[in-house]
Amino acid sequence: MTEVNNALSPHGGKLVDRVLEPAKGREKAKKAKIKLPIDGSRATEIMSIAYGFFSPVEGFMGHKEVDSVCKDMRLTSGYIWSIPITFDISESEIKAKGLKEGDTLLLTYQNQPFATMELEEIFSYDKTLMAQKVYGTTEEKHPGVKITYACKDRFLGGKITLINPPKINPPFDKYWYPPKVLRQKAAELGWKKMVAHQTRNVPHTGHEWLMKGAWFASSADAVLVSCVVGEKRAGDYIDEAIVLTHDALGQTGYFRKGTHLTSILLWDMRYAGPKEAIFHAIVRKNLGCTHHMFGRDHAGVGTYYSPYAAHEIFSQVPDLGIGSVLTLEWWYCPVCGEVTYSGLCGHDKESQAFSGTLIRSIIQDGVKPPRLIFRPEVFDLVMESGEKYGFGSPFVTSEYLAKRNPVITVPAMEV
Amino acid sequence: MAEIYPINIWINEERLSKLQRAGLADMAEEAFAGLKKLAVPTNDKQRDAILKKYPMAKFDSATTKSIELLPREVKDKIFDMVVAKKTLDVMDSFLASI
Repeated sequence: MTEVNNALSPHGGKLVDRVLEPAKGREKAKKAKIKLPIDGSRATEIMSIAYGFFSPVEGFMGHKEVDSVCKDMRLTSGYIWSIPITFDISESEIKAKGLKEGDTLLLTYQNQPFATMELEEIFSYDKTLMAQKVYGTTEEKHPGVKITYACKDRFLGGKITLINPPKINPPFDKYWYPPKVLRQKAAELGWKKMVAHQTRNVPHTGHEWLMKGAWFASSADAVLVSCVVGEKRAGDYIDEAIVLTHDALGQTGYFRKGTHLTSILLWDMRYAGPKEAIFHAIVRKNLGCTHHMFGRDHAGVGTYYSPYAAHEIFSQVPDLGIGSVLTLEWWYCPVCGEVTYSGLCGHDKESQAFSGTLIRSIIQDGVKPPRLIFRPEVFDLVMESGEKYGFGSPFVTSEYLAKRNPVITVPAMEV
Repeated sequence: MAEIYPINIWINEERLSKLQRAGLADMAEEAFAGLKKLAVPTNDKQRDAILKKYPMAKFDSATTKSIELLPREVKDKIFDMVVAKKTLDVMDSFLASI
């Protein structure tokens, strides 16, 4: 295995930039003779590659790359990488389109030219092996394994170029910071240390204290809230509520101005536990973060991973160039009369743990949670978001899934 | 001793009023400095049966070890059984009724 410096920031030492201005993009599109429509997940992964979130990855992985990531948790270049980035396709689509290695493909999304792909490889991969290596299980009820098994039987590998940058729709547009932009903003604000908080939840005070604890622990200038916006399941909070409520913590003074920034990451969670923790660390390093906070059950699901598996994996990898703030949970203690850190509070028997799921359950029962565990401004905004964006509910419903305003819109482009 | 996995039924005004009328207000436990809940116990078999019947519900295995996100009307039915029987031990009856 090649020895490389995994501590370089951005990962691999250079921020990938594969975004073309529309005029140049149109010219590139004209040279691509085969059109291939893609779905929303592929489109957002293309954006993450093109804007450098996934640096040093420059396209969809080929067989050797996927195999190396699955078996060794490294790219073939030697850099640590934990989750395969793949483009699946059926044999019948390959035949129908006449795809062959060496082609340049025009990938279309929302019926518009979106990206090009230099097709370097068409291959198969054992999906059961991929599931076992990445998720540590082959059980289909694991959501990441389900995504893997749902892949069609063949894969395309090759570099991509975003030729028609999409419009990010409100309210997400305010929170869209590609790595280059975020690094520039942090420099302007004089932030030398930034600690990332990964979330797919509306913040309760346990989250708030996790962020504040991480800020202290890393002596950071600011907390970067990186909200994962992607595939939703019925009963989740709607994306709009997640993003707006995190921003509200800064707007309403729970974080002092200049210490907190909300951003989005377009990504379908794989719930790969420790492997996803590594992935999150690399992506946030690419954003310019110097630290990443990992709490209990980071990116886990069910009982597939031990509660602190994400903490343990960082001792098995070389220095990734981003400090890991490994933290226990915050709970409510009726003896202390406050939300407090479980690593310090000795009232184990009296302690009352709470989670995002529990808060959702309280709200679903028509009860307003007390301000000690859920800020009233956050509660009000959750309900407002439900009315404005969620067809009356702050939780994902089938109506929301069918009718929600898209996060991105691809502009019309004549080719 | 077998593990117990509670279904937390959070007490809103309507539920509090029903509990008070039945003389069961003391059955609700205090949580998080200002909330009241009924923690209806389930064993592992009852938990699994509930999660199978209501796939939108979630067993919070990481933090609270409780069954959350049952639809409100399901919780209302369990709650009404608790009030009618004046006991939290209702899950066998509830499962038999669905």
